[in-house]
Amino acid sequence: MDFDGLSVDQAPPITAPLRFFATAPIFAILAGFFIFFSDAAALSSRFAPQAIAVTHAITIGFFCFVMFGALVQMLPVLAGVKISNVDKVSKLSYILLLAGTLGMVFGLWFELQKLLLIASLLLGGGFLLLITAMLFAFRTVVHINASIRAMITSLIFALLITLLGVHLLASYGIGKIGASHLLFANIHSVWAIFGFAGILIVGVAFHILPMFYVAPKFEPFFQRFAVLIAVAGLVLWLILNLFADSYAIAAKSIIASLFMVFAIMAWLKVSARRRKVSDITIWYWKSAAVFMTVGTVAWVVNDFFDEKYTVFVSILVGGGFIFSVMSGMLYKIVPFLVWFHLNAKGYMSIPTMNDMINKKATKWQFALFIFSLIGFALSFFVSQFLGFFALTFIVSMVLLEFNIISAVLIYYKTIKTKPDFDMSMFTMKAE
Amino acid sequence: MSTIKGFLTEDHGRCDELFAKMEDEAAKSIENAKEAYEEFAKATERHFQMEERVMFLEFEQKTGMTQGPTAIMRHEHAQMRNLLAEMGKAMESKDKDKFFGNSETLMILMQQHNMKEEQMLYTMAQQHLSADADRIVDMMQSMIVE
Repeated sequence: MDFDGLSVDQAPPITAPLRFFATAPIFAILAGFFIFFSDAAALSSRFAPQAIAVTHAITIGFFCFVMFGALVQMLPVLAGVKISNVDKVSKLSYILLLAGTLGMVFGLWFELQKLLLIASLLLGGGFLLLITAMLFAFRTVVHINASIRAMITSLIFALLITLLGVHLLASYGIGKIGASHLLFANIHSVWAIFGFAGILIVGVAFHILPMFYVAPKFEPFFQRFAVLIAVAGLVLWLILNLFADSYAIAAKSIIASLFMVFAIMAWLKVSARRRKVSDITIWYWKSAAVFMTVGTVAWVVNDFFDEKYTVFVSILVGGGFIFSVMSGMLYKIVPFLVWFHLNAKGYMSIPTMNDMINKKATKWQFALFIFSLIGFALSFFVSQFLGFFALTFIVSMVLLEFNIISAVLIYYKTIKTKPDFDMSMFTMKAE
Repeated sequence: MSTIKGFLTEDHGRCDELFAKMEDEAAKSIENAKEAYEEFAKATERHFQMEERVMFLEFEQKTGMTQGPTAIMRHEHAQMRNLLAEMGKAMESKDKDKFFGNSETLMILMQQHNMKEEQMLYTMAQQHLSADADRIVDMMQSMIVE
């Protein structure tokens, strides 16, 4: 049994997750500017280069950066496994993903084919390096539970969508859009949202909601079968999509029902939590649950309208559900990491977790985010105010970055000023 | 037959409940939450001592690992005792913000700690000490907190 995950010294260095966390909101700000400067009509088509640029600034730049930061940090704790050379692997993959994402979104925006080709290689390298390193780490896992099973499954989906994504982006890069391009793009996006992000969120929620909020545990039956049903639904959806497209809605209904049940259950669990104290992360979990419930219905109904509302559905599911959960995670993990690493270094006069981020600023950030999200959803139908909502979104993301950075700055300030240093807590009680 | 893992995991759950109750009381009135705080602090200290004075010792004796996982867990107990003391001080000075700042930190630290124990240490203890599980659980139950 590997005990490395138990040790403070063996926990990944704070910079490994922080560089992902601190970068994520910047990509969201960039996405906001893209929305502001883009043509509303272009954004309402999911296959327009501008829409793909905005989507990936959010999905890779924000979602993946937060998810990878969290996974790098949480794998030793949640699964008791250690990523080999975690510092080097996370640093290198960060650089590749950062350069790749920038290359991709600007390449799409300015239609620079060579840049897209380079970006596809950088992104492929970054994703494959980190995903395989994490999957490889799981080989030593001893105690497999529903959360760990979900994490492994979601990483396998991540691997597959990376391969598809590299192919799709490289096709733009060489200017050869094959007949199967749209089909692959469809598989890529559905598997990314539900297979990678969706299953990961479900698995982590099984653990995190009872843990952080003393919420009732998810029913054993649901814990056991949720991932299985999601995988079965996603594979069936693929098969039907390939061979009997008109029946694909059956598989869609399975996936949608599962995630809707999850969203409703998450709402109920959070509401029935024993820790009644409410903070911004609770609000984010609740908004995620609401948007996912509406989003799954909209996703299925969209089929009856020739998929005319795909962008609208993406705003609800991607923006409302995944974005909310990721933002909530940032607010929970970053202050704790700062406290944890300072404490492990022996500093005792550290601000408490609640002092690291201004609570009022988090509430404003949340309100502006939800306001912008609803605005984006409405703009799909009435586009006059899209620019205005893009601006409120940018402000909310600047605030998010400010909130995250203010906690990070406390870490560096404390290290620099070296206040008191108390070793008494390190003395073990003699028996 | 008792299991060490089952017994201690259940005790984690009991401490979580007391933690939630304490926060609930403190949210209503920090002045009147002293009793709930003490109940939680007492249960937590008891849990720590059941491990440090009984289970960890048995584990260390059986496996010969004194600087391994149990040392790390003892270190984390020290961190948590420190936060508990800070919460006590905040309660004395009726500083609600400081109390909840520390309780939030303690909660996350405690949950990370519990998870490591439940997933790794208890599983391993169960494997090594299964023949003596009844005796060890008995000893933990009857232990008097120092």
